[in-house]
Amino acid sequence: MNHNRWLSLLSPLVLVGLWELAVQLGWLNRVFFPPPSEVFQTLSQLIGSGQIFRDAGISLLRVGLGFLLGGIPAVILGLLMGVNPVVRALVQPLAAAIYPIPKIALLPLIIVTLGLGEVSKVTTIAVSVFFLVVLNVASSVLQVDPRYFEVARSFGARRRDLFWTVALPASLPGIMTSIKLGMGFALTLIVGVEFVGAENGIGWLIWQSYELYAIDRMIAGLVVVALIGWLITVALDELEYLLVPWQAASVRVRERRMREHVRLWWPTIRPWSYTAAIIPVLLGASIAAYDGAIDWWRLFLTIVGSISIQLGTNLVNEYYDDRKGIDKVQVFGIGGAIQRGELAAWQVLAAGLAAFAVGSLIGLYLVSVTGPFIFWLGLFSVATGFFYTAGPLALAYIGLGEIAVFIFMGPVIVIGSYYVQAEKLSLPAVLASLPVGFLVAAILHANNLRDLDIDRQFGKRTLATLLGRGRANIEYYVLVGGTYVSLIVTVLLGVAPWLTLITLVTLPAAIRLMRIVAAETEPHALQPVLRQTAKLHMRFGSLLICGWVFAWLIDALGYL
Amino acid sequence: MPSSNMQPKIRIDNLHVVYPGRRGEQVEAVGGVTLDITDGELVCIVGPSGCGKTTLLRVLADLEQPTSGAIQMLQSNPERPLKGTVFQGAGIFPWMTVEQNVAYGLKLRGVPPVERTATARHWIGEIGLERFAQAYPAQLSGGMQQRVGLARAFAFDPEVLLMDEPFGALDAQTRLLLQQTLLQQWERRTKTVVFVTHSIEEALTLGDRVCVMSARPGRLLHEVSVPFARPRDAIALRTDPRFSTLFAEIWDVLRDEVDRARADEVAG
Repeated sequence: MNHNRWLSLLSPLVLVGLWELAVQLGWLNRVFFPPPSEVFQTLSQLIGSGQIFRDAGISLLRVGLGFLLGGIPAVILGLLMGVNPVVRALVQPLAAAIYPIPKIALLPLIIVTLGLGEVSKVTTIAVSVFFLVVLNVASSVLQVDPRYFEVARSFGARRRDLFWTVALPASLPGIMTSIKLGMGFALTLIVGVEFVGAENGIGWLIWQSYELYAIDRMIAGLVVVALIGWLITVALDELEYLLVPWQAASVRVRERRMREHVRLWWPTIRPWSYTAAIIPVLLGASIAAYDGAIDWWRLFLTIVGSISIQLGTNLVNEYYDDRKGIDKVQVFGIGGAIQRGELAAWQVLAAGLAAFAVGSLIGLYLVSVTGPFIFWLGLFSVATGFFYTAGPLALAYIGLGEIAVFIFMGPVIVIGSYYVQAEKLSLPAVLASLPVGFLVAAILHANNLRDLDIDRQFGKRTLATLLGRGRANIEYYVLVGGTYVSLIVTVLLGVAPWLTLITLVTLPAAIRLMRIVAAETEPHALQPVLRQTAKLHMRFGSLLICGWVFAWLIDALGYL
Repeated sequence: MPSSNMQPKIRIDNLHVVYPGRRGEQVEAVGGVTLDITDGELVCIVGPSGCGKTTLLRVLADLEQPTSGAIQMLQSNPERPLKGTVFQGAGIFPWMTVEQNVAYGLKLRGVPPVERTATARHWIGEIGLERFAQAYPAQLSGGMQQRVGLARAFAFDPEVLLMDEPFGALDAQTRLLLQQTLLQQWERRTKTVVFVTHSIEEALTLGDRVCVMSARPGRLLHEVSVPFARPRDAIALRTDPRFSTLFAEIWDVLRDEVDRARADEVAG
């Protein structure tokens, strides 16, 4: 079952990847099969211009109106049919006769009588929803176990009570099902209705793209239809949850299983590590903004991409740590879910690779907009992430962990993020990224300091075990001190705005940490240092970003 | 304890129930039952399956009409509901929480919300399901659901409680525990109970009187007064030598009827 869930997640990703590849290699004709990256680009243009929101909004309005106009009377009439044989005898034959007619076939008739305007579109949807829902609701009332009516009567229920306490609640699950069916119907229909004589709407967008032979736009429209359908399904599921909580009672078992899943995965994905991935991205973007280039859509994608790569790195690390038996005696186990048998090794690896795939797809898109520089940068990052613990020369196990982290979680991400925005390189951006690089390396080093004795015992080579306790402490001072020194230097050089000096408010915390490192060797006493260093990174990074953003805003105001 | 009231609480007089069978023939489910039940008495009705004992109970519950004969049920307190029913297989509503289920009868009677919630809570406590007051039946085991059915009937507090094989579908241990619960509650607050079962042990454990019904058409064949003192212990009773004597006595009557019911099933 778990296998299947993973496969169902993986197969669309693989398909999209293959499609992209097949077009890029020329196996598929680009004219008929525009690659996903191109569709994505078209879609973001449609988003950027706001057109997609206008068309999707209009379609949703038509669907919503038609759904309410058809659905509400249908539920009421269906309930009446269910409880009252006279109403049933009157309505049933008529409804059953009309129900099988494909409602799209009624469209010409409706257009003839009501014209080409909105009324005919909404009516078509209302009519089709009505007949579907009325019959389903009636039959779900009729399917209520008669025993329940007897029980109610034995407690003295009158006709009114029978309806409100038995017939209605007992048929609610069925009503919900018919509402879902009706909504599916309405969505199918709206596209067809908008093919004919519409001037807007998502169906119109698809049809017009066909007439213009803009296949990328056509596919973008299809993607949006799928997305809307999915969103509505999710919304209706929520509604069902509210209206039919007893049905959810059995669902709750499934939910508990979901929570269990989250509980198992949560430590494995190392949730605290993502600020380290987000802060450099934001820093690069705010430096670019300061230099006059900011694109929010690209920033969003860069953040998602960076998180995906970090996620992939964490999961692949978990997998290889387990295979190398490194974490076996870890005192402060981060993760370790594989060793405890809670997650299968292949699950962790597959999830990691899927995360890399998402990150790579986003990367590919960014490459398609900004050029090959990001491609090489990204490839390099993914490779480092992978070989951090994987492969024969795992960086983390030969004392190169800090340096790798310094470079990639500092300058590389900052430059990448900057480049995505400004589409150029900048030496000041490199220099301005150094403080963040120092601090992120300090986090890793705090971890290695804590584990120094255990790592040595088990032959895990980190810079700390290679240097020995005394010099390893000095390394910590250098990394934390380097943060502030490099910051002050960049300000003095006129590279960074003086506002970034607000980060100096974190200096007391940094000094406190260095004091603890100097005094303690026990893992338990050093554990808070790890946490506090990570916190310092987040505080320092946020303040640094604020400094750049404020400087940018002041500049922008100056132009006004 | 049976009261000294001269007039019976329930009087069943030559009751016949006939309904049309599958092939249009007349099926006589109850074939002339006459029975008086005293106020506060717990009467158990045993009989082979398909003997019409459930039909008899359904007539008492007003869920079916007798073909001929009459039923009288005396209401002594117009403030209290006259009768309530516990159904085979709980019959609790899946769309209501345990608390709502237990309070259901009170709600129909127009008891104000605060009061009915308090009463429901009390009975949920009595059956030991406090932790599940807000749970839905789907989250409960079969035995727990049956306890909710019991609590619902007790919270309704009718003068006459009609019980149709309420523990039939449960495993032996759960069944014993629920019999014990029923005994405790009934002995604490006496009400007239008509309890239909196919288990002789259950009838002897619970009843003041056990009525044995014949195979279809159901008639009363035999009556046994159960001598065990109250309060009773459902488990200790089993070792009483009178228990096995009475069991044998009832089984003697019942065996022929079971055979006859079997033969009918094979033939029909």
